[in-house]
Amino acid sequence: MEINEELVRKVASLARLNLTDEEVKKFTPQLKDILNAFSHLDRVNTDNTDPSFQPIPIRNNTRHDEPHASLSQEIALKNAHHTKDGYIKGPRAV
Amino acid sequence: MMHTDVVIGLEVHVELDTMTKLFCSCPTKGSESPNTRCCDVCLGMPGSKPVLNSKALEYALRLCLALKCNVSKELVFSRKSYFYPDMAKNYQISQYELPLGAKGSLTLGAKAVNIKRVHMEEDPAALTHPSGMHTSSFVLVDYNRSGNPLVEVVTEPDLASPEEAREFMKKLITILSYLGIFDVKQGIIKADANVSIKAGNYQRVEVKNITGFKDIERALQHEVERQKREVKEGKKIMAETRSWDSDVGITRSLRLKETEEEYGYIFDPDLVLIDITPEMIAKIQSSMPELAEQRVVRYINEWKIAPIDAEVIASDKLLSDIFEHVASHVDKPYAAKWIRRELIRVLNYQGKEMPQNPIRAEELIMLITLLQQKKITENTGQKIMELLMEGPFNIVEYVRKNNLEAVSDTGVLERLCREAIAEHPAAVEDFRSGSDKSLNFLVGKVMAKSKGKASPKEVNEIIKKLVR
Amino acid sequence: MISDFVKSVQQGKIDPVHHIRSALEEVKNINQQFHYCTTIPEQSALAESKEAKTGRLAGVAVSVKDCICVKDIESTAGSAILKGYHPVMDATAVQRLKDEGAIIIAKTAQDEFGFGSFAVNVGIGMEIPKNPVDPERACGGSSGGSAGLTRKVSFPHVSLAESTGGSIVCPASFCGVYGLCPTYGVVSRYGLMDYANSLDKIGPMATSVDDLKLVMDIIGHMDPRDSTCTGPQHAKVIQKPRIGLLKSSFAQGVDPKVQSAVREFVEKLKRSGFSVSEVELPLTEKYGISCYYLISMCEASTNLAKFCGMRYGAHEPLDGNFNEYFSKVRSKYFNEESKRRIIIGTFARMAGYRDAYYLKAMRVRTKIIEEYKKIFTSVDILLSPTMPILPPRFADIGNLSPLQQYMMDIMTVGPNLAGLPHLNIPAGSVEGLPVGMLLIADHYQEQTLLACAKVLE
Repeated sequence: MEINEELVRKVASLARLNLTDEEVKKFTPQLKDILNAFSHLDRVNTDNTDPSFQPIPIRNNTRHDEPHASLSQEIALKNAHHTKDGYIKGPRAV
Repeated sequence: MMHTDVVIGLEVHVELDTMTKLFCSCPTKGSESPNTRCCDVCLGMPGSKPVLNSKALEYALRLCLALKCNVSKELVFSRKSYFYPDMAKNYQISQYELPLGAKGSLTLGAKAVNIKRVHMEEDPAALTHPSGMHTSSFVLVDYNRSGNPLVEVVTEPDLASPEEAREFMKKLITILSYLGIFDVKQGIIKADANVSIKAGNYQRVEVKNITGFKDIERALQHEVERQKREVKEGKKIMAETRSWDSDVGITRSLRLKETEEEYGYIFDPDLVLIDITPEMIAKIQSSMPELAEQRVVRYINEWKIAPIDAEVIASDKLLSDIFEHVASHVDKPYAAKWIRRELIRVLNYQGKEMPQNPIRAEELIMLITLLQQKKITENTGQKIMELLMEGPFNIVEYVRKNNLEAVSDTGVLERLCREAIAEHPAAVEDFRSGSDKSLNFLVGKVMAKSKGKASPKEVNEIIKKLVR
Repeated sequence: MISDFVKSVQQGKIDPVHHIRSALEEVKNINQQFHYCTTIPEQSALAESKEAKTGRLAGVAVSVKDCICVKDIESTAGSAILKGYHPVMDATAVQRLKDEGAIIIAKTAQDEFGFGSFAVNVGIGMEIPKNPVDPERACGGSSGGSAGLTRKVSFPHVSLAESTGGSIVCPASFCGVYGLCPTYGVVSRYGLMDYANSLDKIGPMATSVDDLKLVMDIIGHMDPRDSTCTGPQHAKVIQKPRIGLLKSSFAQGVDPKVQSAVREFVEKLKRSGFSVSEVELPLTEKYGISCYYLISMCEASTNLAKFCGMRYGAHEPLDGNFNEYFSKVRSKYFNEESKRRIIIGTFARMAGYRDAYYLKAMRVRTKIIEEYKKIFTSVDILLSPTMPILPPRFADIGNLSPLQQYMMDIMTVGPNLAGLPHLNIPAGSVEGLPVGMLLIADHYQEQTLLACAKVLE
């Protein structure tokens, strides 16, 4: 696998991060270093080993279909800066 | 499978009719005022944690069983990551590697449509684009819908025409409503479709954002035509995602969001594995409600209802429910015939569907009783049905007040017939020389004299007898 | 000790209002030099102190790591992107403390979202907390503010901290206080702003074993609002636990001064009557770091997607389409380490790499858990130094590459990956700098850890 500046930019844009040229230059060798180190995991034989969802098997926690009070509109919106008529305002979709 | 001219696969999203959302206790119904049915969880606030609604799982399992799916032994949720203004967390809690149900089928007449998978996921928030999607400088977000429980049903590309896709959707809705897991009146059902045509070398195009089963045929017909046109003009069909604009009736190319490879699925570590045990399945299986096919058999075999009436009535859960209610009070085959023909006729006339049907079982029972007892004519019955579309009223009183009781006194009818014969000698002559039209004319005159309260069949016979 | 103080409050000998007022003054003074607090909620603390006459923590000043939500008090997880976020709810752990009469006097400084081992990766525009015994040195991370404050204040105090890969015991070690990271799921994560959900644990820091135990008893309960919360499972306390000394305590990379502190500690254990044998965890030692960082970064990169300038926290004038707007806000307000981890985490779960990195790490974790489970059949408590080094100078941290910094978690990632309870015991000092010992026990054995620490106290 080749970790290069192009890949770093592509992944950053998927994560909605605009990197400056300096950041790309700094991150690329660091990420290469880190991911190369991490890839030694392929030496561990994990045939017939399931992924661990949590460190301890925890199962079957659900809740009943019983409504609880929601937040008031005022509280729901109190942390949002951009609001209008009870809606949260967001950037345009296209 | 790809031998038909048109190949369609559907991904149908169905809103489950639970009281609360999929991962929080906010109600799914109630206040329509924006952002009044939400909490830290469905607003995606930092610190919130999802907890699964067990009822939603039960409903999704019912659907898996009705679609004859193999049911997974465990329920596992994954995070599907993509950024969009309607997303509370910029990932959707969905299912990936291990869908709840797989390899099912749905029968359409003689054909079995294969179901690839059935999985559960949460609904995003609702977006409003104040001055249109392509021109608004911002969106307004209402999180009331955010976190509503959805099931996604994915078919194999087994559908060979837009009509068939429509039939599939219709049949699916019937199943959903029989299962009691979908609110036919308010629930939302949406579809994305993969469409390809032979002439385009079966290059798949995805059409998103199709709402309801009526729109599906329109959207797909449009897309098939578009592809045919492209091929005719010598263009290549491009792999792309297009959005259906129902108002304008066209599909538009969508600027690409993430592709499947870029969703970066991980198991949702906030949620735990849920065992789906054989006992759980058995319990749901035993509590499965009667489905449409079973009702048809019961109507025909036990209630002696004409097969055509049985099929039509059972294919619509609401129609079938109202019929069941009425049938317990009156003659079943007669009620079936009347409801199948007349109720659907008056609804169609006003462009309505069963969910908007204002006529109640009470009125139908009264009306059909009067008809059966020949207290009113079918003609009067039809008129009353039309009036019932405006709202319920006391039918007996209405019939009495407007003097609409059927004229069945033979003496009175004979008198009216004699009057008509005397008044229209020319018509009588024509009838004698073999004109059926003249007979109908005379019957019509008598009907008018009776103000529609006579039975045309009876009048017909009396005139024939008197003239010969 | 807290229980004595609480008794005095309950008996009316101490006025909580007066006490909290002077505690706040002290905290403000300390903060000017050491920067342990992101927020000091004076008004609400004073208001709450008027009601605090009953409960097992009546009138006790408590600080809370910034990533744990306190209702209506700015909670930012140490990040500029959450500036202004006033949670609409208390974390369950906070609620339980408040219900026992505790007064929240501070939100404490941390590495942004917990991304660091030295509390130097603070949010943009935020101050780096300094070691209480030497302000030129780090107080450890990520719960650096909690540890420093716990060490520095003169009044009875406990702190609610959080660990994903070692963020409780590491700063506790560097600051010379007790820190307990409980078994995964014992304490509800409801109200905890996620770093990596399958690894995050809330736990207490204090200056005595009894105080740790008191807080654990209060916060460690089942909570229906967190699907992964089990509460304590009441395992039997092991009276004379067999100690397994990890050979890696003397591996290359462990400061020789720390190694001698370990030897001294082992002597102390033996004098107290514990049996000590040497053990090894080859898989964990070799692959723990990679496994931990991959899982935590994959999870973190999804958790941090929600920060986009819409519903809470930092925002910008609303222009451009959603891609442009989200990118603008995220690029401006995430710090460098967050960006690094988001990129690695996003990469490691992308189709094509997901199997080799994300899923592989999830499987390796299973094997690491198995390795621990096996070793706990022959010993009851594992021992190593908490950190391989003494509290480092800020200048020296700056010379480490990100990978070298990650390697400092060598002792702590194992128990965190396996969800095992672990505890830092302050073990004196070397050249005036605190050094701490790490005790690890099997799942749900926090009471065994506390009992063992109590004997050594």
